Amino acid sequence: MRGQGGAPRIGGSIMRVALALLVMYAGLAGGLTYWQVVQAQELTEAPGNPLTLAASRTEPRGRILDSRGTVLARNIEGEDGLPRREYSFLATTPIIGYKSVRFGATGLESTYDAEMVGLGRSSPAERLLRKFRSDPYDPQDLVLSIDARLQGRAFDLLGGDRGAVVAIEPATGRVLAMVSAPTFNANLIVDPARAEAAFAQLNEDPPEASRLLNRATQGRYTPGSVFKIVTAIAAVGSGAVDADTVYEEQPAAEEDGLRVEGFRIRDGHHTFTGNEALNFVEATEVSCNIYFALAGLATGEDDLFEWSRRLGFGSRIPFELPTAPSFVSGGTQAEDGFDDSVELASAAYGQGETFVTPLQMALVAQAVANDGQLMKPKLVDELRAESGSVRTLSPESLSRVTSASQAALIQEAMQAAVEGEFGEDFAGAAKVPGVPTAGKSGTAELGGEGEPHSWFIGFAPVEEPQIAVAVIVERAGFGRERAVPLAGQLMETYLDLAE
Amino acid sequence: MTASRAWRVRPRLRPRELGLLIVVAATLFCGWVSLASTEAGELALGEPVVLLVYLGLLALLHFSFVLAGRRMDEVLLPAVGLLGGLSLLLMARLPQGLVVQSFAGRELGLGPLQLLWLSVALVLLGTLAIVVRSDGWLRYYKYSWAAAGVALLLMVFVLGEETNGARLSVSLGPLTGQPSELLKIILVVFLAGYLADNRPLLARTSTNLGPIALPPVPYLLPMVAMWGIALSIVIVQRDLGAALLFFSVFLSLLYIATQRVSFVILGVLLFLAGGAVLYNLFDHVQDRVDIWLDPFADAQDTGFQLVRALYAFGRGGILGTGLGAGLPSVGNNLAIPLLHTDFAFASLAEELGLLGGLAILALYLVIAQRGLRIAASAADDFRGLLAAGLTLVIVIQAAIIIGGNAKLVPLTGITLPFVSYGGSSLIANAIIVGLLLALSDQGVEPPPPRRASRRERASDRARQIGGRIEEALS
Repeated sequence: MRGQGGAPRIGGSIMRVALALLVMYAGLAGGLTYWQVVQAQELTEAPGNPLTLAASRTEPRGRILDSRGTVLARNIEGEDGLPRREYSFLATTPIIGYKSVRFGATGLESTYDAEMVGLGRSSPAERLLRKFRSDPYDPQDLVLSIDARLQGRAFDLLGGDRGAVVAIEPATGRVLAMVSAPTFNANLIVDPARAEAAFAQLNEDPPEASRLLNRATQGRYTPGSVFKIVTAIAAVGSGAVDADTVYEEQPAAEEDGLRVEGFRIRDGHHTFTGNEALNFVEATEVSCNIYFALAGLATGEDDLFEWSRRLGFGSRIPFELPTAPSFVSGGTQAEDGFDDSVELASAAYGQGETFVTPLQMALVAQAVANDGQLMKPKLVDELRAESGSVRTLSPESLSRVTSASQAALIQEAMQAAVEGEFGEDFAGAAKVPGVPTAGKSGTAELGGEGEPHSWFIGFAPVEEPQIAVAVIVERAGFGRERAVPLAGQLMETYLDLAE
Repeated sequence: MTASRAWRVRPRLRPRELGLLIVVAATLFCGWVSLASTEAGELALGEPVVLLVYLGLLALLHFSFVLAGRRMDEVLLPAVGLLGGLSLLLMARLPQGLVVQSFAGRELGLGPLQLLWLSVALVLLGTLAIVVRSDGWLRYYKYSWAAAGVALLLMVFVLGEETNGARLSVSLGPLTGQPSELLKIILVVFLAGYLADNRPLLARTSTNLGPIALPPVPYLLPMVAMWGIALSIVIVQRDLGAALLFFSVFLSLLYIATQRVSFVILGVLLFLAGGAVLYNLFDHVQDRVDIWLDPFADAQDTGFQLVRALYAFGRGGILGTGLGAGLPSVGNNLAIPLLHTDFAFASLAEELGLLGGLAILALYLVIAQRGLRIAASAADDFRGLLAAGLTLVIVIQAAIIIGGNAKLVPLTGITLPFVSYGGSSLIANAIIVGLLLALSDQGVEPPPPRRASRRERASDRARQIGGRIEEALS
């Protein structure tokens, strides 16, 4: 059918334009659905959401409780008549952070901001019901896995030294205690009258104090010998090392060092083991640098990275607080591989360009204790709404690191490192009286002047472990001087409390 | 056309329109009660005068149409009425100090002002729908309209005042207006006239550029001119939205007239090429695109508005917070700057939820369906193209700003037709719907086609022969 002048009539093309419009509007509808259904929750809970900010000024805010119901943080009425936070313990500051109208939020106060204000997840039916109420908020209390008594004990044990302690329940990844010292008084930050002075004071502190830093998740340290457990996991996991593996060149090298590409790796601690080549458990017991250097070389760069990646190295550990990634090589910037075998061998016994967070090392202990299964660390067990509804946050697995039998071999080696004839000298102080205890001490040489970092990771009891710990005390000397006894007392405290 | 036929008045009932308007009135009344109750904290009516005035105006329009007795479309008015009513609900609940103007010594806030503009717009809409009985004044003066359009554009270039980084408004004495709103109507009138006249020529292939078949080169000129106008609007006026709208409407009309997909592809390529150049040359274009790609990158500054809009969408969820319970009522400051103009949709989608947002989309699709139906059943090409173009202006404009709100396309500062605050926009869109209603009256006969002059016929014949020779050669 032809219209004027021989051109086709326009009806057909109008139809096609109408179809194009329909497609365009279907796209718009899809976009709206994406934001209003798929992304709705995430957007509502975003910390920058003005609604959350506005609500935090005037609306009630949920409390933070420890695993036994002890109040760690709650709202009080300030002198200005506005609600303000009050924190019960100094020791929990690195976990809880603060919530200030003026300075924003940190720690769990930031992570669970929306939930505590009452804008967080609730069932669709509840949300519908709340639409008919004038007050749209349903503040939720956080119930943590932290035990305030253990937390306080860990803080006291550090006794004013710089350092961090992380304790995890191996089977679930629940964090039982997480301490970073020195810390700061969050009650000053949330008080409008005193916040300025408090921040000024924090700025005057010497830089190494860094009170605002949560060392447990963001402090990165040279690991020293505790990293041998990572090497052990990679070596045993990849099959490069088993219970009977010995290195014939090891005893001779004890005398004048192991040559790797002309570089000499020395071992000062255990010439007393004599001329017999050590097996894996014995080498772990005496923390043999040369054995682990050779084991690292046998494992190879690829497998060392693969198993450390399974443990969480190389990326941020998923957690409810900000975490810094730990790196096997390349320092604090990024994993960049090893330039030569010297670097690989040095890293294998913990003196390479390796930097780890205490949380990462606690997870290494957790994975070994939990038969090779790495759990996602978690701080919040439950969200309890004012309206009575409870949301439980279940444990989650992160990765299968080794098989259970491989983990058992490493457990045996770590038990020897605490309880064995020679091991006792290094880490015997970590033993919980009457309880089989496993662990590994570490002494991180930092070069230059000053004492090394004192390290320990471990768990107890060896069978059905209840607690896995990582302890670092900065510049406090050998592992056995500071971190080892601290860990022992901490684990003992926890097992006593659990009874 | 005799005067007696043009102005004969025989009332004709419009039952469908009446029914739909009753639904609209009931919906708006529910909305009003809901809003007033949320604000009062108990079941309340608030001050229903504003709503009653508006509903009364809709009723007045309906009965005027009945009395006028024309066979006009019966769905457009209720659709527009509902959109305007939603706008009124929104403006009534926003902080009234957002816009303040004094009229005759009285200070009017946002809500009353919007009611005033809506009233002016509706009266204009009704007047056009009833009075326009001939399209000759549009059809035969297309070059005069084009000249007026260019003059309007120049006026903006010379006299324009900057608001929010865009040079859009022109002040004449006490009145401030945005000429680009009128420009879009003029553009459609010109294009409909031009394309209707030159359709057969444009549809014919004469130049081949690789796989793309081009029309005879002289007829490419308007395309290039449109492209130039769109680019200059972006450069001088800094109005990305208007440029996008103009060019989309132009391409759609060109396609309707010629049915040539290659033109559309060529146009899109031209637009992309122009866009790429502008992106590299102009900061404001670059900013808009960067914000669109990642508004969270600078959520406190440049990405602020969009991030806030997305929060509003998220908070609305499926069912919405309810009228009056959205963001602006929390705290003292507006949660989204320009909530009443650029982000009117985000605000409504928060309070009415996904369902409300989809309903608003559906309302624009209803307008699209009615308008394109009027176009498809038009008596001749000019009226078809005119109706289609006018419809597309509203529907594409709505899509551009809704897409901008929802981060589907870069955000641009154009209004949501019938919903955003602003006199220019309301009046321009009312003119469009008024014309559509008038065009929908099949009772108006088109003027007889002009006889082509002898010269035109000769040249036409020559071209046909030329075409045949080309066909034979290829």
